[in-house]
Amino acid sequence: MPKPEKLIVKIENVHKAYGKEKVLRGISMDINESEVVVLVGPSGTGKSTLLRCINQLTVPDSGKVWVDGVELTNPKTDKDKARQHIGMVFQDFNLFNHLTTLDNIMLGLVHVLGMKKEEAYDKAMLELERVGLANKYGSYPGQLSGGQKQRVAIARSLAMEPIVMLFDEPTSALDPELIGEVLTVMKDLAEGGMTMICVTHEIGFAREVCSRIVFMEHGEIVEQGLPVKMLNNPDMQRTKDFLGKISVLD
Amino acid sequence: MEVLTVLVPYILRGLSITLEVTAVALGLGLFFGSILAILRVYGGDLLSRVLTLFVTLLRALPHILLLLIIYFIIARVVNLSAFWAGSLSLAIISSAYQSEIIRGAIQSVPGGQMMAARSIGMNRIKAIWHVIIPQAFRYAIPPWSNEAAIVIKDSSLVYVLGVPEILRQAQYYSARTYQPLTAYVTVAAIYFLLTFITNRGLDLLERHIRIPT
Repeated sequence: MPKPEKLIVKIENVHKAYGKEKVLRGISMDINESEVVVLVGPSGTGKSTLLRCINQLTVPDSGKVWVDGVELTNPKTDKDKARQHIGMVFQDFNLFNHLTTLDNIMLGLVHVLGMKKEEAYDKAMLELERVGLANKYGSYPGQLSGGQKQRVAIARSLAMEPIVMLFDEPTSALDPELIGEVLTVMKDLAEGGMTMICVTHEIGFAREVCSRIVFMEHGEIVEQGLPVKMLNNPDMQRTKDFLGKISVLD
Repeated sequence: MEVLTVLVPYILRGLSITLEVTAVALGLGLFFGSILAILRVYGGDLLSRVLTLFVTLLRALPHILLLLIIYFIIARVVNLSAFWAGSLSLAIISSAYQSEIIRGAIQSVPGGQMMAARSIGMNRIKAIWHVIIPQAFRYAIPPWSNEAAIVIKDSSLVYVLGVPEILRQAQYYSARTYQPLTAYVTVAAIYFLLTFITNRGLDLLERHIRIPT
């Protein structure tokens, strides 16, 4: 018996423009618990903007967004509180440069969740172990490789016990030989049942791990579906052209 | 012998005032300069414009003119001593320059740092305090040591209000003993030492808190 599906993220008719440039033109999407959604599309189609609209780092011009039943687009919602449990991983890592890896993880635990230092320390060490970097607890971001930085960034988000994780091109800034270690961590997460929305061009990851591929172009969803269908025989010619192109790179 | 018994007490008394004026000007300047800088970067368009205008005006005034305005106009109303009128004038001026230094430093912190802090649920103030400021202050140290050197020397301006800092004291000494050379060379050496020590200290601080790479 599959458990009844629980809606985690609901996006309803979201529009966003920067000046005259319409980046999102009415995006709607439902994401259920434990779903792993991969957003693909040419650059400049609004994938990253859509991710940032989910946790309201970018405020949409119109439309609504719910995460775990809370409407984030409602002005009365405490957005800081909502963001505590929406993890986000960035293309360029954005680790706090002046803090060790351990302190990077502890900062939110102590100053956002109000944990005691000792408790936060234990939790942070646990998260570092989970991404295989417990031995790097005292290193500063500048002393880590790109792959290690991204794993620490993932650990930092996971420590906050997110209900959904947003990945914004998590491997695009990495040297090819470092991509694998980050994808492995993401795969483990997905297998552990984490709800994930990933902007990525890693088609291998999409094929193996994700439950749905969403193809976006010009601020609209062109087509979405199971990876098998989207990669092998999509309905739209545009989807086929684009996925065909990036699959060659894979 | 007269040098030791007369010059030294004169200079020492002046030195402590010079140090006090400098400390007030730099300290308050840093405090208000930081607030100005933070408000200019994060305080929204209107506030930012008003404060930028304020900074521009302050930077356009000869320092000595502000001292005179504060002492002869404002200090009459709010009852400030010459020492405080002078020190506060220098602090206000320095806050304008320091706000520029700190604003530049804040803007040198990559935008992703704020985004990452907000993404884990930090509010803006916490993010500024725990993430932006610690990095910005590191960037600010080299230009700040420049400002410190300027303020040390500008502390001599309170002399026009009759505050007996070292330059004033040296002048008294010179007038009394007809030995301007001894007086002014000593004072020059002291300014050199103060500036040198301050810059060395800031240099060490910068190295001490440098983020390891």
